[in-house]
Amino acid sequence: MANVPPKLIYSLLKRFCDPFLFEGISGDLEELYFIDCQTSVRHAKVNYMLRALRFFRFTFLRKGSILKINLEPMLRNYLNITLRTFKKHKAYVLINVLGLAIGMSAGFLILQYVAYELGYDRSYDRQEDVYRVQSNRYNKGELTTQWAGGAAGAGYHLKENFPEIQDYTQMVKSSAMVSVERQYFKPTFAYYASAPFFEVMGLSLTRGVDSTALKDPFSVVLSQSWADRLFNGENPVGKRIRQNDRNDFTVTGVFEDLPENSHMKFDLLYSFESYVNFTSEEVKTQLDWDGFLNYIRLKPGTNAALLEAKFPALLDRIYETGENYIVNTELEFVLQHVGDIHLTSNYRSEIKPNGSARTTYFLAIIGLFVLFIAWINYINLTTANSMKRAKEVGIRKVLGSFKKQLVGQFMFESAFINVIALSLAAVIVIVCLPYFNRYLGRSGDYLMPEQLWFWLSLSGVFLSGIILSGIYPSLVLSSFKPITTLKGVFSNSEKGNTLRKGLVIFQYLTSIVLITGTYVVYQQLEYLKKQDLGVNIEQTLVLTAPIITTDDSIYVQKLDVFRNELLSYSTINAMTTSTAVPGESPNWNAGGIRLLSQPEEQSNQYRVLGIDNDYIDFYGLEVVAGRQFDQSYGDENNNVLVNEAALSTLGLQQAKDALNKKLFFWEDTFNIVGVVKNYRQESPKSSYDGHIFRYNDWWNDYYSIKMQTSDMPKTIAFLEENWRIVYGEQPLDFYFLDDHYNKQYKAELNFGTIFGLFSILAIIVACLGLFGLASFMTELRLKEVSVRKVLGASFSNLWTMLTKDFLKLVCLAILVSLPLSWWLMDSWLTTFANRIDLSFTLFLVPAALLVIISIATVSYHTIKTALLNPADCLKDE
Amino acid sequence: MKGTQIGELEELILLTVAALYDDAYGIAIMKDISTRANRKISISTVHAVLKRLEEKGFMSSRYAGATPERGGRRKHLFRVTAAGEKALKQARALRNGLWDEIPKVAFGNG
Repeated sequence: MANVPPKLIYSLLKRFCDPFLFEGISGDLEELYFIDCQTSVRHAKVNYMLRALRFFRFTFLRKGSILKINLEPMLRNYLNITLRTFKKHKAYVLINVLGLAIGMSAGFLILQYVAYELGYDRSYDRQEDVYRVQSNRYNKGELTTQWAGGAAGAGYHLKENFPEIQDYTQMVKSSAMVSVERQYFKPTFAYYASAPFFEVMGLSLTRGVDSTALKDPFSVVLSQSWADRLFNGENPVGKRIRQNDRNDFTVTGVFEDLPENSHMKFDLLYSFESYVNFTSEEVKTQLDWDGFLNYIRLKPGTNAALLEAKFPALLDRIYETGENYIVNTELEFVLQHVGDIHLTSNYRSEIKPNGSARTTYFLAIIGLFVLFIAWINYINLTTANSMKRAKEVGIRKVLGSFKKQLVGQFMFESAFINVIALSLAAVIVIVCLPYFNRYLGRSGDYLMPEQLWFWLSLSGVFLSGIILSGIYPSLVLSSFKPITTLKGVFSNSEKGNTLRKGLVIFQYLTSIVLITGTYVVYQQLEYLKKQDLGVNIEQTLVLTAPIITTDDSIYVQKLDVFRNELLSYSTINAMTTSTAVPGESPNWNAGGIRLLSQPEEQSNQYRVLGIDNDYIDFYGLEVVAGRQFDQSYGDENNNVLVNEAALSTLGLQQAKDALNKKLFFWEDTFNIVGVVKNYRQESPKSSYDGHIFRYNDWWNDYYSIKMQTSDMPKTIAFLEENWRIVYGEQPLDFYFLDDHYNKQYKAELNFGTIFGLFSILAIIVACLGLFGLASFMTELRLKEVSVRKVLGASFSNLWTMLTKDFLKLVCLAILVSLPLSWWLMDSWLTTFANRIDLSFTLFLVPAALLVIISIATVSYHTIKTALLNPADCLKDE
Repeated sequence: MKGTQIGELEELILLTVAALYDDAYGIAIMKDISTRANRKISISTVHAVLKRLEEKGFMSSRYAGATPERGGRRKHLFRVTAAGEKALKQARALRNGLWDEIPKVAFGNG
């Protein structure tokens, strides 16, 4: 009969179950199985297994089965022996436990960091079919700009042409200010989103209707926290919010705040129709407006890669028909799965700054290494210690111990030490976690113990720890031959020694790579910070400009009043307004720009900054040819400056060639009046981008103020007062530019610190190991040292002799580590446009450090042994 | 008397076994309870209760009646013992006594 119930579970049950009951039980199971088979065989098999599983309970257990053997006396004996041994070798146990505990806690801290990073965007429903359409802009085949949120109409065109796409949502950021009853707020994460948002994302509203909340113009949905903030915990649905003191929006829903570990964060979502209302119907389909996030939901089972492969043909077709004609800017759509965005995507207009897969995996590897170092310690110390226990093993064997029982004893000890170390590690982790997370700028609401993986990995680490660190030592220990050990001529085996040395070398190898890594990371950071930025960011306060709520002429008047007030104050020296400040890539990125004399296909993308007359002087920028914007030349609106980096794409050789050339920029022509020397708009991590400076004296995003550092609080109070007089209730938002600028190094700084922290831990653990090992090795040579001393060896002779052995291992480790760390650090450094060269000193300093540390570590024992009175040691034989 | 008390499920299964008389084995009991009491009990629970009742001495069992649907295995058939009968009667007497004690007004339709 082909149709039989699952065999495996049947035989398991048979082994487990009381044989008397088994016939009845298996008969019943089989009868039910054949009844189920009449509907579906697959179903029947699953049901059979589920039913059978439930028979694995104590009631049906076979009498006298292995589980019922009484283990207690044996375990008690193991425990007794273990405690006795530990009492005898306190230092050895302490070193072992400390080493393991440090290793485990380091491993766990990193593990939780890595798990958090990898767990981004896995928490909301049905996310597996959600993708973001990322846009890449090319220029003559060369990739110029990668947008997280790219072409406005990306979602629209894809949905129109591919039935695989269930729906899409189109979003764009809003920097508007909102007010409720004249209370003003400035949300950071406000977006316009089209109606299918909730359907596409697989999110739902806690109040309001998912499908219609964002349908009508001038409707808005709020996150729970912002609903509470704006309406003090009342139900906001149906109430009104005023945007920029001009437009009223009706609240149509509330959604729960997205979890912290998502690449998205939304405070307010306005309906996209409102944005259409402000701009034009075209924005829904346009392909040459960038900065729009497009998310799509694929029909279940769609292969995203296959779908993506069809995009280029579609784009070609769209250009040919000419509806969305783009001037020589090639466009490419890439599908990003939402779960991958956090670690792989770092493009323009991301919602939040994202993480890096490289760093994450790097850290995971470091964490594992620290853990391995700790285990290796255990193995080393235990096998070294075994010589002391050789006699015990001999006696036990003579008295009739089986090898199995000896292994059991040693495994038990290993488990015991691991348990103690694990509990210690748990304490360390619980104490350190908040600091660790705060340091990484992580909110504390992510609790490890709530996650299933935490318990899985905990038991994983525990079990593999016991097995890895326990098996080898217990096999070595239990294999001693009783006769040799009892005769007392026991010597350490050559093989064991080689292995132990190999393990020490591995430990040191890891440590040295970590130290070198830390050192190189810091050197590179210092190097970046010391770079000449070409721009003066000292003593600069940056204000986020007020929002225009009235008409433009009043805005300019107000700005003049504000400026004059500030400049009249003694400690304020200068002020300028602009659309971007140093420290970030300018938000304004425009394509289709070329010299009027250039053919159309040579047009290009440039980063554009709108600046006023004072900007160049204010930031200490140098003009290498021509002039800067100046009031005395009258209307500057048709003049632009470019930077040196822009020259080559404009087809110009020298700065002076650019002067008086006509620049074609979005159907307008501008006259180039000056060339600005390259400066670090972004950090020296990246290379220079082509910039175009346009004159702009009305709506600028930032007001920069140069102030003297003396009496700072008073100056700021003055600033706040005048802001209130001129701009009333508008929230004032300011920061110091140098802090802001240095934030660009935050990722590297974090990386460096974590690197540093764990290399210190690794070194501590490795030193503990070396310390323990030195104590055993010197003890073994006590007699030799005593005899030498009697025969006239000097202290320094003896010290050198004893230390040499360990130093040899350390030096070997350093030698092996050189190419490894060179390769690792070189590949890390290639991500920087400006980098240090790897020099010999970069490796020499950490190596010297390690040699000194290890000499210090072993010297405690070597000196102690060398100073020993030979009589004490030689008197008993 | 201690030891003769039985739980609700135990009582239900004892009664079912008695009612089925000579064909009381796991599946039959499970099916009977599911049709009569509209209650889904898993086959492992039925077996566990049967074993417990047999250990308490309320039931006796034997193997008989192999069929091909059961892969040639015999059925484990149960029968209520005298002690089982006594326990059932006691449970019933306890209930009847209580029912008799309840004044009519207690259920509010008085």
